Amino acid sequence: MRYFLAEGWKSTKRNVSLISLGTMAVSIFVLGVFGLILMNLSNVNSNLRSSIEIRVYVEDNLTGQGLGALKQQIESIEGVHRVTYVSKEEGLSRLAKQLGEKAGLVDILGENPLPDTFDVRVFNADSTPDIASRISNLPHIIGVNYGQGFTEKLLSATRFIAVATVVLAVILLGAVMFIVGNTVRLSLVSRAQEIEVMKLVGATDWFIMWPFLIEGMIVGFLGSSLSGICLYVVYRACISRLGLVAPFIPIITETAPVARLCAGLVGLGVLMGVFAGGVFIKKHLEI
Amino acid sequence: MLIRFYDVTKVYPSGATGLFSVNTFIGKGEFVFLVGPSGAGKTTFLKLLTREILPTRGQVLLNGRNITRIRPTEVPYLRRTVRMIFQDFKLLPNKTVYDNVAFALMVTEKPRRQIGALVNEALKLVGIESKAEMYPDELSGGEQQRVSIARAIVGDPTVLLADEPTGNLDMETSWDIMEVLLRINKRGTTVIMSTHNATIVDVLKQRVIELDNGRIVRDDEKGVYEGEAEYNAVLPG
Repeated sequence: MRYFLAEGWKSTKRNVSLISLGTMAVSIFVLGVFGLILMNLSNVNSNLRSSIEIRVYVEDNLTGQGLGALKQQIESIEGVHRVTYVSKEEGLSRLAKQLGEKAGLVDILGENPLPDTFDVRVFNADSTPDIASRISNLPHIIGVNYGQGFTEKLLSATRFIAVATVVLAVILLGAVMFIVGNTVRLSLVSRAQEIEVMKLVGATDWFIMWPFLIEGMIVGFLGSSLSGICLYVVYRACISRLGLVAPFIPIITETAPVARLCAGLVGLGVLMGVFAGGVFIKKHLEI
Repeated sequence: MLIRFYDVTKVYPSGATGLFSVNTFIGKGEFVFLVGPSGAGKTTFLKLLTREILPTRGQVLLNGRNITRIRPTEVPYLRRTVRMIFQDFKLLPNKTVYDNVAFALMVTEKPRRQIGALVNEALKLVGIESKAEMYPDELSGGEQQRVSIARAIVGDPTVLLADEPTGNLDMETSWDIMEVLLRINKRGTTVIMSTHNATIVDVLKQRVIELDNGRIVRDDEKGVYEGEAEYNAVLPG
Protein backbone atom coordinates (compact mmCIF):
# COMPACT_ATOMS: atom_id res chain seq x y z
CA MET A 1 0.00 0.00 0.00
CA ARG A 2 2.90 2.33 0.78
CA TYR A 3 4.17 1.75 -2.75
CA PHE A 4 0.79 2.62 -4.30
CA LEU A 5 0.42 5.78 -2.24
CA ALA A 6 3.96 6.89 -3.00
CA GLU A 7 3.58 6.21 -6.72
CA GLY A 8 0.17 7.88 -6.87
CA TRP A 9 1.42 10.99 -5.10
CA LYS A 10 4.62 11.17 -7.14
CA SER A 11 2.65 10.89 -10.34
CA THR A 12 0.12 13.50 -9.23
CA LYS A 13 2.90 15.98 -8.46
CA ARG A 14 4.38 15.32 -11.88
CA ASN A 15 1.22 15.51 -13.94
CA VAL A 16 -1.40 17.63 -12.26
CA SER A 17 -1.41 21.30 -13.28
CA LEU A 18 -2.81 24.32 -11.49
CA ILE A 19 -5.06 24.92 -14.47
CA SER A 20 -6.65 21.50 -14.29
CA LEU A 21 -7.05 21.72 -10.52
CA GLY A 22 -8.51 25.23 -10.88
CA THR A 23 -10.95 24.16 -13.59
CA MET A 24 -12.04 21.26 -11.49
CA ALA A 25 -12.43 23.43 -8.39
CA VAL A 26 -14.55 25.95 -10.34
CA SER A 27 -16.75 23.18 -11.77
CA ILE A 28 -17.41 21.71 -8.35
CA PHE A 29 -17.85 25.18 -6.88
CA VAL A 30 -20.59 26.03 -9.39
CA LEU A 31 -22.23 22.73 -8.63
CA GLY A 32 -22.05 23.57 -4.92
CA VAL A 33 -23.66 26.99 -5.52
CA PHE A 34 -26.60 25.31 -7.20
CA GLY A 35 -26.75 22.81 -4.39
CA LEU A 36 -26.97 25.64 -1.86
CA ILE A 37 -29.71 27.40 -3.82
CA LEU A 38 -31.65 24.17 -3.96
CA MET A 39 -31.16 23.56 -0.26
CA ASN A 40 -32.43 27.03 0.60
CA LEU A 41 -35.40 26.81 -1.71
CA SER A 42 -36.49 23.51 -0.30
CA ASN A 43 -36.00 24.94 3.17
CA VAL A 44 -38.35 27.86 2.34
CA ASN A 45 -40.70 25.42 0.71
CA SER A 46 -40.93 23.09 3.66
CA ASN A 47 -41.35 26.02 6.07
CA LEU A 48 -44.25 27.30 4.01
CA ARG A 49 -45.78 23.92 3.52
CA SER A 50 -45.79 23.22 7.20
CA SER A 51 -47.67 26.47 7.80
CA ILE A 52 -50.21 26.09 5.01
CA GLU A 53 -53.76 26.55 6.26
CA ILE A 54 -57.11 26.71 4.48
CA ARG A 55 -59.23 29.58 5.71
CA VAL A 56 -62.89 28.79 5.22
CA TYR A 57 -65.35 31.74 5.25
CA VAL A 58 -68.83 30.94 6.52
CA GLU A 59 -72.19 32.62 5.81
CA ASP A 60 -73.18 35.18 8.40
CA ASN A 61 -76.57 33.73 9.30
CA LEU A 62 -75.22 30.42 10.58
CA THR A 63 -75.50 29.87 14.33
CA GLY A 64 -74.24 27.43 16.97
CA GLN A 65 -75.78 24.16 15.78
CA GLY A 66 -75.23 24.91 12.09
CA LEU A 67 -71.60 25.81 12.73
CA GLY A 68 -71.08 22.62 14.73
CA ALA A 69 -72.55 20.51 11.93
CA LEU A 70 -70.43 22.26 9.31
CA LYS A 71 -67.30 21.76 11.39
CA GLN A 72 -68.08 18.04 11.58
CA GLN A 73 -68.61 17.90 7.81
CA ILE A 74 -65.21 19.52 7.20
CA GLU A 75 -63.53 17.22 9.71
CA SER A 76 -64.95 14.19 7.95
CA ILE A 77 -63.16 15.06 4.70
CA GLU A 78 -60.23 12.73 4.19
CA GLY A 79 -56.83 14.37 4.75
CA VAL A 80 -58.10 17.03 7.14
CA HIS A 81 -55.96 17.19 10.26
CA ARG A 82 -57.56 19.84 12.45
CA VAL A 83 -60.42 22.32 12.19
CA THR A 84 -60.41 25.43 14.39
CA TYR A 85 -63.39 27.75 14.65
CA VAL A 86 -62.52 31.46 14.61
CA SER A 87 -65.50 33.68 15.36
CA LYS A 88 -65.86 36.98 13.54
CA GLU A 89 -64.97 38.81 16.81
CA GLU A 90 -61.86 36.79 17.25
CA GLY A 91 -61.02 37.44 13.61
CA LEU A 92 -61.36 41.16 14.14
CA SER A 93 -59.09 41.19 17.17
CA ARG A 94 -56.52 39.16 15.20
CA LEU A 95 -56.75 41.71 12.41
CA ALA A 96 -56.31 44.56 14.87
CA LYS A 97 -53.21 42.82 16.22
CA GLN A 98 -51.82 42.41 12.71
CA LEU A 99 -52.47 46.04 11.86
CA GLY A 100 -50.67 47.20 14.98
CA GLU A 101 -50.38 50.99 14.87
CA LYS A 102 -53.11 51.22 12.25
CA ALA A 103 -55.59 49.36 14.47
CA GLY A 104 -57.70 52.53 14.48
CA LEU A 105 -58.96 51.53 11.04
CA VAL A 106 -61.01 48.78 12.67
CA ASP A 107 -62.83 51.33 14.79
CA ILE A 108 -63.56 53.49 11.75
CA LEU A 109 -65.36 50.56 10.10
CA GLY A 110 -67.94 50.67 12.87
CA GLU A 111 -69.42 47.21 12.52
CA ASN A 112 -67.42 44.02 12.14
CA PRO A 113 -67.15 43.26 8.40
CA LEU A 114 -65.52 39.84 8.87
CA PRO A 115 -67.35 36.54 8.52
CA ASP A 116 -66.97 33.58 10.88
CA THR A 117 -64.16 31.32 9.71
CA PHE A 118 -62.71 27.85 10.13
CA ASP A 119 -58.95 27.42 9.97
CA VAL A 120 -58.29 24.01 8.45
CA ARG A 121 -55.00 22.20 8.71
CA VAL A 122 -54.31 19.27 6.39
CA PHE A 123 -51.99 16.32 6.80
CA ASN A 124 -50.32 16.65 3.40
CA ALA A 125 -49.68 20.09 1.86
CA ASP A 126 -49.98 18.62 -1.65
CA SER A 127 -53.63 17.78 -1.08
CA THR A 128 -54.48 21.37 -0.06
CA PRO A 129 -56.06 22.46 -3.40
CA ASP A 130 -58.17 19.31 -3.55
CA ILE A 131 -59.45 19.59 0.03
CA ALA A 132 -60.07 23.31 -0.42
CA SER A 133 -62.27 22.66 -3.43
CA ARG A 134 -64.23 19.97 -1.60
CA ILE A 135 -64.81 22.34 1.31
CA SER A 136 -65.97 25.10 -1.02
CA ASN A 137 -68.67 22.76 -2.35
CA LEU A 138 -70.23 22.38 1.13
CA PRO A 139 -73.33 24.46 1.94
CA HIS A 140 -73.05 27.80 3.80
CA ILE A 141 -69.49 28.42 2.59
CA ILE A 142 -68.78 31.76 0.98
CA GLY A 143 -65.19 31.12 0.08
CA VAL A 144 -61.87 29.42 0.82
CA ASN A 145 -58.37 30.82 0.80
CA TYR A 146 -55.07 29.00 1.09
CA GLY A 147 -52.72 31.29 -0.83
CA GLN A 148 -53.78 29.82 -4.16
CA GLY A 149 -51.12 30.11 -6.82
CA PHE A 150 -48.17 31.00 -4.59
CA THR A 151 -47.59 27.51 -3.25
CA GLU A 152 -47.75 26.05 -6.76
CA LYS A 153 -45.29 28.64 -8.07
CA LEU A 154 -42.81 27.99 -5.30
CA LEU A 155 -43.11 24.27 -5.85
CA SER A 156 -42.52 24.57 -9.59
CA ALA A 157 -39.57 26.92 -9.04
CA THR A 158 -38.02 24.38 -6.69
CA ARG A 159 -38.59 21.63 -9.25
CA PHE A 160 -37.01 23.73 -11.97
CA ILE A 161 -33.92 24.44 -9.88
CA ALA A 162 -33.69 20.76 -8.96
CA VAL A 163 -33.78 19.71 -12.62
CA ALA A 164 -31.29 22.44 -13.54
CA THR A 165 -28.99 21.25 -10.76
CA VAL A 166 -29.15 17.68 -12.00
CA VAL A 167 -28.45 18.74 -15.61
CA LEU A 168 -25.62 20.98 -14.48
CA ALA A 169 -24.29 18.24 -12.24
CA VAL A 170 -24.08 15.87 -15.20
CA ILE A 171 -22.26 18.46 -17.34
CA LEU A 172 -19.88 19.53 -14.60
CA LEU A 173 -19.16 16.00 -13.47
CA GLY A 174 -18.40 15.22 -17.10
CA ALA A 175 -15.90 18.06 -17.01
CA VAL A 176 -14.41 16.74 -13.78
CA MET A 177 -14.12 13.26 -15.30
CA PHE A 178 -12.43 14.75 -18.33
CA ILE A 179 -9.92 16.66 -16.22
CA VAL A 180 -9.07 13.67 -14.05
CA GLY A 181 -8.97 11.46 -17.14
CA ASN A 182 -6.55 13.86 -18.77
CA THR A 183 -4.26 13.93 -15.76
CA VAL A 184 -4.29 10.15 -15.64
CA ARG A 185 -3.60 10.04 -19.38
CA LEU A 186 -0.52 12.21 -18.90
CA SER A 187 0.74 9.98 -16.17
CA LEU A 188 -0.05 6.96 -18.32
CA VAL A 189 2.12 8.37 -21.08
CA SER A 190 4.95 9.22 -18.72
CA ARG A 191 4.79 5.76 -17.17
CA ALA A 192 4.16 3.77 -20.35
CA GLN A 193 7.57 2.11 -20.19
CA GLU A 194 7.17 1.22 -16.54
CA ILE A 195 3.76 -0.30 -17.19
CA GLU A 196 5.13 -2.33 -20.08
CA VAL A 197 7.81 -3.77 -17.81
CA MET A 198 5.28 -4.41 -15.05
CA LYS A 199 3.11 -6.44 -17.42
CA LEU A 200 6.16 -8.21 -18.74
CA VAL A 201 7.37 -9.45 -15.35
CA GLY A 202 3.90 -10.46 -14.17
CA ALA A 203 2.39 -7.62 -12.13
CA THR A 204 -1.35 -8.10 -11.71
CA ASP A 205 -3.79 -5.67 -13.31
CA TRP A 206 -4.84 -4.38 -9.92
CA PHE A 207 -1.24 -3.75 -8.95
CA ILE A 208 -0.79 -1.68 -12.11
CA MET A 209 -4.07 0.17 -11.65
CA TRP A 210 -3.78 1.15 -7.98
CA PRO A 211 -1.39 4.09 -8.39
CA PHE A 212 -3.68 5.53 -11.09
CA LEU A 213 -6.76 5.15 -8.91
CA ILE A 214 -4.91 6.85 -6.08
CA GLU A 215 -3.80 9.60 -8.42
CA GLY A 216 -7.41 10.14 -9.51
CA MET A 217 -8.44 10.17 -5.87
CA ILE A 218 -5.79 12.75 -4.96
CA VAL A 219 -6.69 15.01 -7.90
CA GLY A 220 -10.39 14.66 -7.05
CA PHE A 221 -9.71 15.39 -3.40
CA LEU A 222 -7.52 18.44 -4.05
CA GLY A 223 -9.91 20.00 -6.58
CA SER A 224 -13.04 19.40 -4.57
CA SER A 225 -11.49 20.41 -1.23
CA LEU A 226 -10.47 23.71 -2.76
CA SER A 227 -14.00 24.34 -3.97
CA GLY A 228 -15.60 22.98 -0.78
CA ILE A 229 -13.60 25.37 1.40
CA CYS A 230 -14.26 28.34 -0.94
CA LEU A 231 -17.96 27.55 -1.04
CA TYR A 232 -18.20 27.38 2.73
CA VAL A 233 -16.32 30.66 3.25
CA VAL A 234 -18.27 32.49 0.53
CA TYR A 235 -21.61 31.26 1.85
CA ARG A 236 -20.82 32.32 5.41
CA ALA A 237 -19.83 35.76 4.14
CA CYS A 238 -23.02 35.99 2.07
CA ILE A 239 -25.39 35.08 4.89
CA SER A 240 -23.79 37.52 7.30
CA ARG A 241 -24.24 40.30 4.70
CA LEU A 242 -27.74 39.17 3.78
CA GLY A 243 -28.65 39.01 7.47
CA LEU A 244 -28.01 42.76 7.66
CA VAL A 245 -29.64 43.74 4.37
CA ALA A 246 -32.63 41.42 4.17
CA PRO A 247 -33.17 39.58 7.47
CA PHE A 248 -36.69 38.45 6.43
CA ILE A 249 -35.39 35.96 3.82
CA PRO A 250 -35.46 32.55 5.52
CA ILE A 251 -32.04 31.30 4.41
CA ILE A 252 -30.19 28.45 6.10
CA THR A 253 -27.85 29.92 8.67
CA GLU A 254 -26.86 26.80 10.60
CA THR A 255 -23.36 25.49 9.99
CA ALA A 256 -24.14 21.78 9.89
CA PRO A 257 -26.17 21.46 6.65
CA VAL A 258 -23.78 23.70 4.70
CA ALA A 259 -20.74 21.86 6.03
CA ARG A 260 -22.44 18.59 5.10
CA LEU A 261 -22.95 19.82 1.54
CA CYS A 262 -19.30 20.89 1.28
CA ALA A 263 -18.13 17.57 2.70
CA GLY A 264 -20.46 15.85 0.23
CA LEU A 265 -18.83 17.73 -2.63
CA VAL A 266 -15.39 16.61 -1.48
CA GLY A 267 -16.65 13.03 -1.29
CA LEU A 268 -18.12 13.38 -4.75
CA GLY A 269 -14.84 14.78 -6.09
CA VAL A 270 -12.90 11.84 -4.65
CA LEU A 271 -15.37 9.31 -6.04
CA MET A 272 -15.35 10.92 -9.47
CA GLY A 273 -11.55 10.98 -9.38
CA VAL A 274 -11.29 7.27 -8.63
CA PHE A 275 -13.99 6.46 -11.16
CA ALA A 276 -12.44 8.56 -13.94
CA GLY A 277 -8.99 7.18 -13.16
CA GLY A 278 -10.31 3.62 -13.21
CA VAL A 279 -12.31 3.98 -16.42
CA PHE A 280 -9.45 5.67 -18.21
CA ILE A 281 -6.72 3.27 -17.16
CA LYS A 282 -8.91 0.26 -17.90
CA LYS A 283 -9.66 1.59 -21.37
CA HIS A 284 -6.11 2.52 -22.25
CA LEU A 285 -4.22 -0.35 -20.72
CA GLU A 286 -6.44 -3.03 -22.19
CA ILE A 287 -6.01 -4.96 -19.01
CA MET B 1 7.86 -32.41 -21.05
CA LEU B 2 7.65 -28.71 -20.23
CA ILE B 3 6.32 -27.03 -23.35
CA ARG B 4 4.13 -28.47 -26.06
CA PHE B 5 2.74 -26.78 -29.15
CA TYR B 6 -0.14 -28.77 -30.52
CA ASP B 7 -1.23 -27.86 -34.07
CA VAL B 8 -0.73 -24.17 -33.37
CA THR B 9 -1.74 -21.67 -36.04
CA LYS B 10 -1.62 -17.94 -35.58
CA VAL B 11 -3.14 -15.66 -38.19
CA TYR B 12 -2.95 -11.95 -37.38
CA PRO B 13 -5.91 -9.62 -38.03
CA SER B 14 -3.98 -8.21 -40.99
CA GLY B 15 -4.11 -11.66 -42.58
CA ALA B 16 -0.40 -12.36 -42.07
CA THR B 17 0.37 -15.86 -40.87
CA GLY B 18 2.61 -15.96 -37.79
CA LEU B 19 2.64 -19.72 -37.35
CA PHE B 20 1.00 -22.48 -39.31
CA SER B 21 0.10 -25.85 -37.82
CA VAL B 22 3.14 -26.03 -35.57
CA ASN B 23 3.71 -29.17 -33.48
CA THR B 24 6.69 -29.40 -31.18
CA PHE B 25 7.76 -30.01 -27.61
CA ILE B 26 10.58 -28.70 -25.45
CA GLY B 27 11.76 -30.49 -22.33
CA LYS B 28 12.68 -29.06 -18.98
CA GLY B 29 16.21 -27.63 -18.89
CA GLU B 30 16.68 -27.56 -22.67
CA PHE B 31 18.49 -24.80 -24.52
CA VAL B 32 16.78 -24.14 -27.86
CA PHE B 33 17.72 -21.77 -30.67
CA LEU B 34 14.87 -20.51 -32.85
CA VAL B 35 16.25 -19.55 -36.24
CA GLY B 36 14.84 -18.47 -39.56
CA PRO B 37 14.47 -15.36 -41.67
CA SER B 38 12.65 -12.26 -40.47
CA GLY B 39 8.90 -12.86 -40.44
CA ALA B 40 9.35 -16.63 -40.15
CA GLY B 41 7.35 -16.74 -36.90
CA LYS B 42 10.07 -16.71 -34.21
CA THR B 43 8.61 -13.82 -32.23
CA THR B 44 5.09 -15.23 -32.62
CA PHE B 45 6.39 -18.49 -31.13
CA LEU B 46 7.77 -16.63 -28.09
CA LYS B 47 4.78 -14.34 -27.62
CA LEU B 48 2.44 -17.33 -27.51
CA LEU B 49 4.39 -18.62 -24.52
CA THR B 50 3.92 -15.39 -22.54
CA ARG B 51 0.27 -15.18 -23.60
CA GLU B 52 0.93 -11.82 -25.21
CA ILE B 53 -1.06 -13.25 -28.11
CA LEU B 54 -3.48 -16.13 -28.45
CA PRO B 55 -3.33 -18.73 -31.22
CA THR B 56 -6.02 -18.76 -33.87
CA ARG B 57 -6.08 -22.56 -33.57
CA GLY B 58 -4.38 -25.19 -31.48
CA GLN B 59 -3.05 -25.45 -27.94
CA VAL B 60 0.07 -24.30 -26.14
CA LEU B 61 0.79 -26.39 -23.07
CA LEU B 62 3.11 -25.45 -20.25
CA ASN B 63 3.66 -28.14 -17.63
CA GLY B 64 0.60 -29.91 -19.04
CA ARG B 65 -1.59 -26.84 -18.69
CA ASN B 66 -3.21 -25.27 -21.74
CA ILE B 67 -2.14 -21.65 -21.37
CA THR B 68 -4.39 -20.48 -24.18
CA ARG B 69 -7.34 -21.26 -21.93
CA ILE B 70 -6.25 -19.62 -18.69
CA ARG B 71 -8.23 -16.66 -17.39
CA PRO B 72 -6.81 -13.16 -18.01
CA THR B 73 -6.30 -12.75 -14.26
CA GLU B 74 -3.95 -15.76 -14.31
CA VAL B 75 -1.73 -14.35 -17.05
CA PRO B 76 0.45 -12.29 -14.64
CA TYR B 77 1.22 -15.48 -12.69
CA LEU B 78 2.17 -17.24 -15.92
CA ARG B 79 4.57 -14.39 -16.70
CA ARG B 80 6.32 -14.88 -13.38
CA THR B 81 7.34 -18.35 -14.56
CA VAL B 82 7.92 -17.50 -18.23
CA ARG B 83 10.11 -14.40 -18.46
CA MET B 84 11.37 -12.70 -21.60
CA ILE B 85 14.35 -10.55 -22.57
CA PHE B 86 14.63 -8.35 -25.65
CA GLN B 87 17.03 -6.86 -28.11
CA ASP B 88 16.31 -3.36 -26.72
CA PHE B 89 16.66 -4.41 -23.04
CA LYS B 90 13.56 -2.44 -21.86
CA LEU B 91 15.29 -1.09 -18.76
CA LEU B 92 13.81 1.84 -16.85
CA PRO B 93 16.20 4.76 -17.33
CA ASN B 94 15.32 6.55 -14.09
CA LYS B 95 16.12 3.55 -11.91
CA THR B 96 19.50 2.19 -10.90
CA VAL B 97 20.64 -1.28 -11.90
CA TYR B 98 19.64 -2.56 -8.47
CA ASP B 99 16.22 -0.89 -8.61
CA ASN B 100 15.54 -2.15 -12.12
CA VAL B 101 16.02 -5.71 -10.92
CA ALA B 102 14.24 -5.14 -7.59
CA PHE B 103 11.31 -3.66 -9.54
CA ALA B 104 10.43 -7.08 -10.95
CA LEU B 105 10.15 -8.47 -7.41
CA MET B 106 8.38 -5.47 -5.97
CA VAL B 107 5.63 -5.38 -8.59
CA THR B 108 5.05 -9.10 -8.17
CA GLU B 109 4.51 -8.46 -4.46
CA LYS B 110 7.55 -10.31 -3.12
CA PRO B 111 8.02 -9.61 0.60
CA ARG B 112 10.31 -6.61 1.04
CA ARG B 113 12.78 -8.40 3.31
CA GLN B 114 13.51 -11.06 0.65
CA ILE B 115 14.15 -8.60 -2.17
CA GLY B 116 17.70 -7.50 -1.27
CA ALA B 117 19.23 -10.97 -1.16
CA LEU B 118 17.47 -12.11 -4.35
CA VAL B 119 18.54 -9.03 -6.32
CA ASN B 120 22.17 -9.37 -5.21
CA GLU B 121 22.17 -13.05 -6.15
CA ALA B 122 20.78 -12.27 -9.63
CA LEU B 123 23.27 -9.43 -10.20
CA LYS B 124 26.09 -11.75 -9.19
CA LEU B 125 24.89 -14.48 -11.53
CA VAL B 126 25.04 -12.13 -14.52
CA GLY B 127 28.31 -10.58 -13.27
CA ILE B 128 27.21 -7.00 -12.79
CA GLU B 129 27.04 -6.67 -9.01
CA SER B 130 29.75 -3.98 -8.98
CA LYS B 131 27.55 -1.63 -11.00
CA ALA B 132 24.42 -1.95 -8.89
CA GLU B 133 24.18 1.75 -8.15
CA MET B 134 24.68 2.94 -11.73
CA TYR B 135 21.96 4.01 -14.13
CA PRO B 136 21.31 2.19 -17.43
CA ASP B 137 22.65 5.04 -19.58
CA GLU B 138 25.99 4.76 -17.77
CA LEU B 139 26.37 1.15 -18.91
CA SER B 140 27.46 -0.45 -22.18
CA GLY B 141 24.96 -2.42 -24.30
CA GLY B 142 26.27 -5.72 -23.02
CA GLU B 143 26.00 -4.58 -19.42
CA GLN B 144 22.46 -3.37 -20.00
CA GLN B 145 21.52 -6.76 -21.41
CA ARG B 146 22.99 -8.40 -18.32
CA VAL B 147 20.77 -6.22 -16.16
CA SER B 148 17.74 -7.18 -18.22
CA ILE B 149 18.68 -10.86 -17.83
CA ALA B 150 19.06 -10.36 -14.08
CA ARG B 151 15.59 -8.79 -13.98
CA ALA B 152 14.17 -11.72 -15.95
CA ILE B 153 15.67 -14.46 -13.79
CA VAL B 154 15.31 -12.80 -10.40
CA GLY B 155 11.99 -14.48 -9.58
CA ASP B 156 13.51 -17.85 -10.58
CA PRO B 157 11.32 -18.48 -13.65
CA THR B 158 10.99 -21.92 -15.23
CA VAL B 159 11.46 -20.63 -18.76
CA LEU B 160 13.57 -17.77 -20.09
CA LEU B 161 12.66 -16.51 -23.55
CA ALA B 162 15.22 -14.38 -25.35
CA ASP B 163 14.12 -12.47 -28.43
CA GLU B 164 17.34 -11.75 -30.35
CA PRO B 165 19.18 -10.77 -27.16
CA THR B 166 22.47 -10.18 -28.98
CA GLY B 167 20.91 -8.32 -31.90
CA ASN B 168 22.27 -4.95 -30.77
CA LEU B 169 25.62 -6.15 -29.50
CA ASP B 170 29.06 -6.70 -31.03
CA MET B 171 30.43 -10.23 -31.29
CA GLU B 172 32.59 -10.14 -28.20
CA THR B 173 29.78 -8.80 -26.02
CA SER B 174 27.40 -11.30 -27.57
CA TRP B 175 29.63 -14.13 -26.36
CA ASP B 176 29.54 -12.67 -22.86
CA ILE B 177 25.75 -12.67 -22.96
CA MET B 178 25.71 -16.25 -24.29
CA GLU B 179 27.94 -17.29 -21.44
CA VAL B 180 25.44 -15.82 -18.98
CA LEU B 181 22.50 -17.53 -20.70
CA LEU B 182 24.27 -20.88 -20.69
CA ARG B 183 25.06 -20.47 -17.01
CA ILE B 184 21.41 -19.82 -16.30
CA ASN B 185 20.45 -22.85 -18.39
CA LYS B 186 22.88 -25.02 -16.39
CA ARG B 187 20.99 -24.05 -13.23
CA GLY B 188 17.91 -25.73 -14.70
CA THR B 189 16.08 -22.90 -16.44
CA THR B 190 14.79 -23.74 -19.91
CA VAL B 191 16.08 -21.17 -22.40
CA ILE B 192 14.52 -20.50 -25.80
CA MET B 193 16.41 -17.95 -27.84
CA SER B 194 15.57 -16.53 -31.24
CA THR B 195 18.60 -15.33 -33.15
CA HIS B 196 20.09 -14.39 -36.48
CA ASN B 197 23.60 -14.93 -35.21
CA ALA B 198 24.85 -17.97 -37.14
CA THR B 199 28.20 -18.08 -35.39
CA ILE B 200 26.73 -18.42 -31.95
CA VAL B 201 24.33 -21.15 -33.04
CA ASP B 202 27.03 -23.06 -34.88
CA VAL B 203 29.56 -22.94 -32.07
CA LEU B 204 27.24 -23.81 -29.21
CA LYS B 205 25.66 -26.83 -30.95
CA GLN B 206 22.36 -26.79 -29.08
CA ARG B 207 18.94 -27.84 -30.29
CA VAL B 208 17.90 -25.74 -33.32
CA ILE B 209 14.31 -25.22 -34.47
CA GLU B 210 14.16 -23.51 -37.85
CA LEU B 211 11.01 -21.69 -38.87
CA ASP B 212 10.09 -20.51 -42.33
CA ASN B 213 6.78 -18.93 -43.30
CA GLY B 214 5.33 -19.95 -39.95
CA ARG B 215 6.22 -23.65 -40.30
CA ILE B 216 8.88 -25.70 -38.58
CA VAL B 217 11.17 -26.75 -41.43
CA ARG B 218 13.93 -28.26 -39.30
CA ASP B 219 14.41 -29.45 -35.73
CA ASP B 220 17.96 -30.70 -35.02
CA GLU B 221 19.13 -31.91 -31.67
CA LYS B 222 22.66 -30.50 -31.97
CA GLY B 223 22.04 -28.23 -34.90
CA VAL B 224 23.68 -25.40 -36.75
CA TYR B 225 22.27 -22.18 -38.14
CA GLU B 226 21.71 -23.27 -41.75
CA GLY B 227 20.77 -26.70 -43.01
CA GLU B 228 23.79 -29.06 -43.45
CA ALA B 229 24.01 -28.42 -47.21
CA GLU B 230 24.31 -24.67 -46.91
CA TYR B 231 26.54 -24.76 -43.84
CA ASN B 232 29.26 -22.25 -44.47
CA ALA B 233 29.69 -20.26 -41.29
CA VAL B 234 32.98 -18.88 -40.12
CA LEU B 235 33.81 -19.91 -36.59
CA PRO B 236 35.28 -17.34 -34.24
CA GLY B 237 39.00 -17.29 -34.04
